[in-house]
Amino acid sequence: MSVKSREPAPGTREARRAEPPSRRRLSRKHREWLAATLFIFPDALGLLVFLGIPMVLALGLGFFDVSGFGGFSFAGLANYKKMFADPLFFNSLKVTVLYVGGFVSGVFVVSLGLALLVQRKIPFVGVFRSMFFLPHVVSLVVVGLVWQFMLTDGIGVVNQVLGAIGLQERSWLGDPDVALLTVVVVSIWFFMGYYMIIFLAGLQDIPQEFYDAAKVDGARSWQTFWNITWPLLKPTSFFVLLVSTITGVAGLQAFDLIYVMTRGGPANSTSLGIFYIYEQAFQFNDYGYAAAMSSFLVLILLAATAAMFVLTKGGRFEVD
Amino acid sequence: MGENETTVVVGTSKDGGMSRRRFLARGAAFTFAAAVTGPGLTLLSGCGGGGSASGPLTFWQFYGPGGEVAVQGKWFQDTVEGWNESHETQIKLQYIPVTEYLNGSKLQTAFSSQEGPDLFIISPGDFLRYYNGGVLQDLTPYIEQEARSDLYPNVMGTREVDGKIFGIPMEVEPLAMYYSTKAFEEAGLSEADIPQTWDQLLDVAGTLKKGNRFGLLFETNPGYYQNFTWYPFMWQGGGDAVAASGKESAFDSEGAMQALQFWQDAVESGVAPRKGLGTGANDIIANLAQEHCAIQNCGIWAVAALRENAPDFEYGTFKLPLPPGGEYTTDLGGWAFVANSQGKNPEDAGRFCAWALASMSQDSIDRGVGWIAEADSTVAPRKSVQQKAEEQGAFESGPMKFFSEEAFPGARGEPRYTPEVYKAVSDAIQAVQLGGSDAGDSAAQAAEQINTFLKSYSGARIV
Repeated sequence: MSVKSREPAPGTREARRAEPPSRRRLSRKHREWLAATLFIFPDALGLLVFLGIPMVLALGLGFFDVSGFGGFSFAGLANYKKMFADPLFFNSLKVTVLYVGGFVSGVFVVSLGLALLVQRKIPFVGVFRSMFFLPHVVSLVVVGLVWQFMLTDGIGVVNQVLGAIGLQERSWLGDPDVALLTVVVVSIWFFMGYYMIIFLAGLQDIPQEFYDAAKVDGARSWQTFWNITWPLLKPTSFFVLLVSTITGVAGLQAFDLIYVMTRGGPANSTSLGIFYIYEQAFQFNDYGYAAAMSSFLVLILLAATAAMFVLTKGGRFEVD
Repeated sequence: MGENETTVVVGTSKDGGMSRRRFLARGAAFTFAAAVTGPGLTLLSGCGGGGSASGPLTFWQFYGPGGEVAVQGKWFQDTVEGWNESHETQIKLQYIPVTEYLNGSKLQTAFSSQEGPDLFIISPGDFLRYYNGGVLQDLTPYIEQEARSDLYPNVMGTREVDGKIFGIPMEVEPLAMYYSTKAFEEAGLSEADIPQTWDQLLDVAGTLKKGNRFGLLFETNPGYYQNFTWYPFMWQGGGDAVAASGKESAFDSEGAMQALQFWQDAVESGVAPRKGLGTGANDIIANLAQEHCAIQNCGIWAVAALRENAPDFEYGTFKLPLPPGGEYTTDLGGWAFVANSQGKNPEDAGRFCAWALASMSQDSIDRGVGWIAEADSTVAPRKSVQQKAEEQGAFESGPMKFFSEEAFPGARGEPRYTPEVYKAVSDAIQAVQLGGSDAGDSAAQAAEQINTFLKSYSGARIV
């Protein structure tokens, strides 16, 4: 009752002071949410303008016959029918699957191996890390030109070395049996440093106490890796698998290499889906058909990503 | 009212500066404005490129200043300057790197976005793509009758539709074989050993193969250029990609099969590499002059390239060898000036093409001579230009005399196949040459693809 008696009389100056503001301040949680949204907004807007809208337009373009000189006409499903009857499209899908299989598995093993090597406290480890990462900062066109030079028939350094140790020389970029493998190897070489850094971050997140306990228990290196490193690295591994698969299917880096080194040859053996789409759009003017193939490729990519999420329960591992 | 007051209070910090909320709000507004207007500004600035509604006409080509042969870029500059000095409509040259021009997307993307250049150069292999796209200006009205008669009919055939001219060639480029004199001498060969037949060519190439040097080089990169260099071998045996009627393929023929087989034999016997150096078999400096091969299949332009970049390199030339019972021919390449019918000023662009290359004025003839005999090394597409160049001694001796008197007669213009026909042929060449496929199967498969396409084709005549 004494509290009530302290309340100011209505209409007095004290009463006005005690009135709550007409608009309540946002809670800390909401303020942070708003700040985060505003910080993300510019990037999201850029993605919408330069990726989202073009993707929707490309999806629509797949239903049109586009001349490449401003002429449009509705074609219904004609481009998709053409796609399913085109042996070169299926060849490009096959090449893409082979490329992704080789690239993803290769880059995973090599970059994880490098990360395990350079996480050790050895002299000049920083120099080694930089050297392994260095290829990734070079322009892909330069990478393609340099490798093309090194892989030249007869006089290239790769064949010279093979010849010197008594192995058979190959035409690495001119033989359909090995040209795709060559592109895969160059792609792995280019990306190994990038994924090494990601794995390194994952490895450094694993508490040292686990390794100390394993050492006390007398675990061998392989047992330590298999029982501690591998399970605790699963989220990082999942991320690397997902991103490298998307990179491989989209073929963005491979496109540059193929454009410079093989132009889809020999005999279409390096004609990835992305390269065949480029060829149809920009060399043959068939934009509608190219858009239809792009849409289909995106569908495959979404399905592959969804399958990964389902298999790994959304990337949430039991170690989480 | 009270709410407005509150907003002001919340948005202003106690010290009178800007609160975090206001800062974020203004930042967001600025970002949104930048993001929305940015692309708009980009688009607007893009209008200053190829298809701007005002300003000088744009002329895209790949002979830049300081290129492989420096005087070629200067020839283009002089030509445009000559026009600009005497005409109100001005022209501005724009250099596109050659690989981007030949295999890139810049030109195509520009046309797709209605921003194509007012003037550009194309080869016969690309003619139908642009003609069927409706962007080539009819140049006939700007060419006087005497000048039209001056142009060689076999050169103009692939630049005309229904008797109208849509491109004026600046050059004629026959293909032939180049060989290293030093390699011949080292192998104990003489001019008497110059191959006349395909079998002899493979034999001689085998003799010339030594260490890391291959005996022979054909193009191996897939593309228009590879098709261009392969066609004459097919024609020599009577084959063709599209029959003279234009309604069906003639690719499933003995001529096509034996030409495919010939290129496969060259690779599988080991006398020819699976990959050339530099940009490929069009690059004589990176291959023949660098001793990567001893014989190279290349065009007349290599004479200028060697003169400029390897003046001390000794070489010889000979005509394309023949298959058993074959008839000599070669392919005539060459670039032509064309005008964009949807550009800023198609009439003046067309007048420029005629003024530069197809006028009977002395300047125009001299300009033609300047290109074929000084800037480049080619045969002329016009009688008067060829005649004047011969009078000046440009074809008096050496490789130019050979190209003019031996390689050129009997030659055939580069065909203007559509991309669909080109791709079917290209896949067959690649599959047989490098993939080891059966020549007969590949020819039949390509013929089927071409026939399927021709059934629904409705553009200008292909042959």
